[in-house]
Formats: sequence, structure tokens, C-alpha cells
Amino acid sequence: MDSLIPFTTSGSLVDCVDRKMLVILRDGRKLHGVLRSYDQFANLVLEDTVERIYSGNTFAEKWCGLFLIRGENVVLLGEIDLDQEDDVPLQQVDFELLDGHHRHEAAEKRHRDDTKAKVLFEQKGFCREGGEGDGY
Amino acid sequence: MPSRLSFQKSLPLSLLNAAQNKPMLVELKNGETFNGHLVNCDNFMNITLREVYQTNADGDRFWKVKECYIRGSTIKYLRVPDQLLDVVKDEQNRAREANRSVRGAHAGPGGRGRARGGPIARGGRGRGRGI
Repeated sequence: MDSLIPFTTSGSLVDCVDRKMLVILRDGRKLHGVLRSYDQFANLVLEDTVERIYSGNTFAEKWCGLFLIRGENVVLLGEIDLDQEDDVPLQQVDFELLDGHHRHEAAEKRHRDDTKAKVLFEQKGFCREGGEGDGY
Repeated sequence: MPSRLSFQKSLPLSLLNAAQNKPMLVELKNGETFNGHLVNCDNFMNITLREVYQTNADGDRFWKVKECYIRGSTIKYLRVPDQLLDVVKDEQNRAREANRSVRGAHAGPGGRGRARGGPIARGGRGRGRGI
């Protein structure tokens, strides 16, 4: 039945409506929420959204509510299996507790990536990266 | 089925349209955020906000702006009030009811009212229209 629907944004996402989804943005943000609608640009409406951050074997959530995401910024959209969601061997902690740590790790990663890009450009003959999320 | 139908109408840009005069937070691709009330928007997602608090990407500097225009292509996401989805749904229901009663008055009982149900009942895939 589903094979009758052509592979378009609309065709692919129609079954995801009203499901709990994970959205990863180009800036690395991970959002969990219920997909309420979308359009041909993959602009998304997410309800009851939480932002999740991870560090080591812990994670934290921050309530964000109703989101309208511009499709360009979406890297990945995946359905969350509600039956297996809680089986993940990670421990939930306070957002404030993890936030500083997470920012620090993100800054470190940015620094590492910059260094890597610099070496690749100056010594290995690669072109220069364009900036944030260029790897996507 | 009802969810499919209501979803078709509250497309992301329709939701944005319905958010006029509501408070919202807009984050740009460069990380700057704008807190304000939506004045107007178009189908490119270009928007104007009033009474805006602008924050830089690091979140340590703030500006107060009376009114500003944001080009749609620079937007990363918008955060809108949670109740907005319910408001839109209510408005649609009311519009549908109004529409039905007007049609009913013209067509008479059992006239066009039944015909409307026809195409949906016939739809083999059971997915409603438009996808």
C-alpha cells in the first residue's frame, strides 16, 4: 500500500504525523516532540517539544513547547519507538546540572573540528570548510 | 481520520498566519534570537515583529527594538504559544460548522450534504485528499 505513495517529503512523512519524533538540527540540537504537521519544504510543527542534551552516560531535558522549524535546518527526523524508549541505559539528570558541561563539550568539539579543517586545508590540499554544519 | 484532515489545514505556514499578534521567539540560523509579537508574515516566512528583545548568539547581550523585519530564509525556528494549535483547531471547526449550515440551508435536507461524504467514502487508500 505504502509503495503507491511516491517518494516525496509528503509521501515519506505522512505516516509520522501524530507520532513522537526525534529531530536533529544543523546546529546539533536534538528535539523530541510530536509531529503535528509539515509541508513540502519539510517545515515542521512539533508539539510538546523537549530539547535533549547528552554527556557521557547521562542526559537532560528542557521543556520547549510548540515549535515551528524551518525545513532547511533539519538534518534528521526519526520516529521514537515508545516501547523501547525507556530501555536506553542512560541516566536522566537535571538540565542545569548538565548544561554547562554540554556547552563546554560542544565548544571543544568546535575547536577540534576547526583544527582538523585547518590542517586539511593547509597541509593536505583540501578546500576550506564553509562554516557551521557544512559537513551536512 | 479526523487527525489527518485537521493536519492538512494547519500546515506550518497556516499556523504562523494564525499566530498574528501572539508572542513568539524566533531564532536565526546564526543563533541570534528575537522575542516579540508577530505583526505580519508571508508565504516566504518573512515576518515583522513588534516590541522586540534581540539577544546575540552567546546570550549575553540584549537589545530592545520597537519593530523589526526578518527575512524568512534566515530563520532556524520559531517557538509559538502552546495554545495556538487548539485555537487553530477550534477556528477550523467553527468555520466548518458555519460552512455546513450555509450549504445545508441552500441544498435542503439530504441534498448536497450527502454528496460531500461521497468522495471520501470512495477513496480506496483511506488517506483523505491531497497527499
